[in-house]
Amino acid sequence: MIKEMVQYPKPLSVEFGVNVRHFNEELFALIEDLKDTINENNLEALSAFQIGNYNNVILVKNEDGSFLELINPSLIAHSGKITTEEKTTYYGELSAEITRFEKVSLVYQDVDAKNCSLRAEGDLAILLQRKLDYLFGATFMQKMSADERDKFELKLEYGSDIGMQDYCPTTFFRDKILKAINIMMLLMLGLVIGSLFVSETTVVEKLWEYQLYAIGAVFALNIFYFFYAQYEGKKYVSCTSCQIGNILGTLFISLIKLSLLSLLSYLLLN
Amino acid sequence: MARLVVLGGGVAGHTTATFAAKWLGSAHEVVVVTPNAKWNWIPSNIWVGVGQMTKEEVTFDLASVYAKAGITYKQAKAVSLNPEGNSSSDKAFVTIEYTGQDKDGTSENIEYDYIVNATGPKLNFDATPGLGNGEGQMGNNTVSVCTAEHAVHASHKLTEAIEKMKKGERQRFLIGTGHGMCTCQGAAFEYIFNIEHELRKAGVREMADMKWISNESFLGDFGMGGLHMKVGGYVVSSKLFAESLFAERDVEWLIGAHTSKVEAGKVEYELLDGSKGEEEFDFAMLIPPFAGVGIKAYDKAGEDITGTVFAPNGFMKVDAKYDAGAYENWKASDWPRTYQNPTYSNMFAAGIAFAPPHLISKPMSSPNGTPINPTPPRTGMPSGIIGKAVAHSVCDLMTKGESAHLHEASMAEMGAACVASAGKGIFTGTAAAMTVYPVVPDFEKYPGTGRDTDYTFGEIGLAGHWIKHILHFLFIYKAKLNPGWTLIPE
Repeated sequence: MIKEMVQYPKPLSVEFGVNVRHFNEELFALIEDLKDTINENNLEALSAFQIGNYNNVILVKNEDGSFLELINPSLIAHSGKITTEEKTTYYGELSAEITRFEKVSLVYQDVDAKNCSLRAEGDLAILLQRKLDYLFGATFMQKMSADERDKFELKLEYGSDIGMQDYCPTTFFRDKILKAINIMMLLMLGLVIGSLFVSETTVVEKLWEYQLYAIGAVFALNIFYFFYAQYEGKKYVSCTSCQIGNILGTLFISLIKLSLLSLLSYLLLN
Repeated sequence: MARLVVLGGGVAGHTTATFAAKWLGSAHEVVVVTPNAKWNWIPSNIWVGVGQMTKEEVTFDLASVYAKAGITYKQAKAVSLNPEGNSSSDKAFVTIEYTGQDKDGTSENIEYDYIVNATGPKLNFDATPGLGNGEGQMGNNTVSVCTAEHAVHASHKLTEAIEKMKKGERQRFLIGTGHGMCTCQGAAFEYIFNIEHELRKAGVREMADMKWISNESFLGDFGMGGLHMKVGGYVVSSKLFAESLFAERDVEWLIGAHTSKVEAGKVEYELLDGSKGEEEFDFAMLIPPFAGVGIKAYDKAGEDITGTVFAPNGFMKVDAKYDAGAYENWKASDWPRTYQNPTYSNMFAAGIAFAPPHLISKPMSSPNGTPINPTPPRTGMPSGIIGKAVAHSVCDLMTKGESAHLHEASMAEMGAACVASAGKGIFTGTAAAMTVYPVVPDFEKYPGTGRDTDYTFGEIGLAGHWIKHILHFLFIYKAKLNPGWTLIPE
């Protein structure tokens, strides 16, 4: 029976995968379902997990149209590393760069529960590893590097591999500059408030001197923010215009705050 | 006054003896026979093995603790059992041979009314040629963290390896199991990641090639057939968890492996696919397989009945179903509940010393017929819980008579907590803290994984390390019978 293949964003209907204990009619029916689903969707291979079954079963379609049934497969040895662009049906057309073992040794059971082994390399090794990812309840996302996973999550968010570079990231370095400016202005405000509790003229004069340095530094940081933010914004073409508007608005607000703080300092410290 | 003899002073034996002594008071006698002068908190041997703890921090003298508890302590090893007595007496007795207390080599027969076998395992180094020295002890080719002394030796070897790396000499580390039928993968798992952590601290990680070799058929099996943990609301398999950790720490692995021979700087192995290979090393820690300690048993006529009392692997037979058959027929109910010997009702076994009915992991063997699979772990929390249940049963039998109800502690109905260290450090340490329920999967009650995923959860991080470090102090405090020790759970 052709089964519906679970595809993102629909969550996988099972959370875990387990080894097959009983080689019975239920298992044989699952294998037939996997064959039908592979043929219908013109696939190279399929893991039972992808059709919502938690048993550790993988079917690979051979070139001659026959099937290799891998029950309870386990990767026991490997050598070499290879990085390729991969796709898996659960995530549709989305692709990701994944580093795999170049050569693998597997042990598994056939439909008669006989222990078997298999050595594979190249494309077959990669295919088998991708299907093995699904066993015990995982997907190929868990095999990505942290950077690749971040990129892939963005692809999932926008539903496409194309034009990823045109999307705006959610955080920028310029935000850190803005944070530094705000912290400095907060310290300056603290200094102004603190001066109310100081009566010695020489100390107040010293505070005013510090405040002048701080005003200069914050002003310089604002200028740096303006230019760096523009440079950073230009890296993301599709949202530059909106960023420029934001940058100008943010700069204007920051400078107003600095002016008010400077005026307050002048009146109280000078 | 009746006498209870406890063979062994490890987690199970110590728990049995101390609780029995507390519950029985001075009305009955409790005797502990153990070849060791010191109690060892074995989980912390990992830290001794990387030089982060001393032997003294993980051990303490037993004599003073047993004196305080009113337990008769005999530093000796059990040699044989005569559960029916002998030609001159109907009273059951155990023959022991002293290893200390200035009576080394002296034999003695101790009569008993009840006996608990909690000897723990024999570290069967000689099962793998070259892993042992041919005389039952560890050989010179590898190191071990199974005892505190072994761990000190391992620490010295590690220091030497680090010095070599600092001088620019690349080192190959091989850590794992030294035979196809080993258990305690968890200890080796902890050790490899603690070494990795120490190498990073020493600034020589780039000079080390690290490899894991194990008899598991998949990473994260741990002798329990793996487990599925709730992590942050998601169910994650221990396979995925282990694979991620190995990838993150850049540790290579080879599994489904039976280490068939060890030589200086080299091991030979056979894989589940029947292929054979070699792996070279500069530093290797390979856990030996476990076996029973080799106690013999004789009937009243002096005939050898070892095969009646003990399973072929030397562990004591208890109320388990030993004829469960093939893997697909295994059930949770095969596992023992009372740990009473089926032939002699005054004989019990606790901890590693009881013979499990079968594996927990899926049985595997190579095409050459070599069995390559982890044997069931029975250490730590389950050992303590079983030891306490057996103490309860024996005390009830002694105080209420032979019809007393026996207490039960099936590993198929028991949860366990495990904290696996992956590096020691107050701010830089990490450990995987996990709970599993039940220890032995019950596929009838929990179809699929055999375990209740609501009670099987885990997390790796700094907090896990703090828990492990706190447990170190807590369990040593408990084992020393300090005030409030009974309130601390097993």
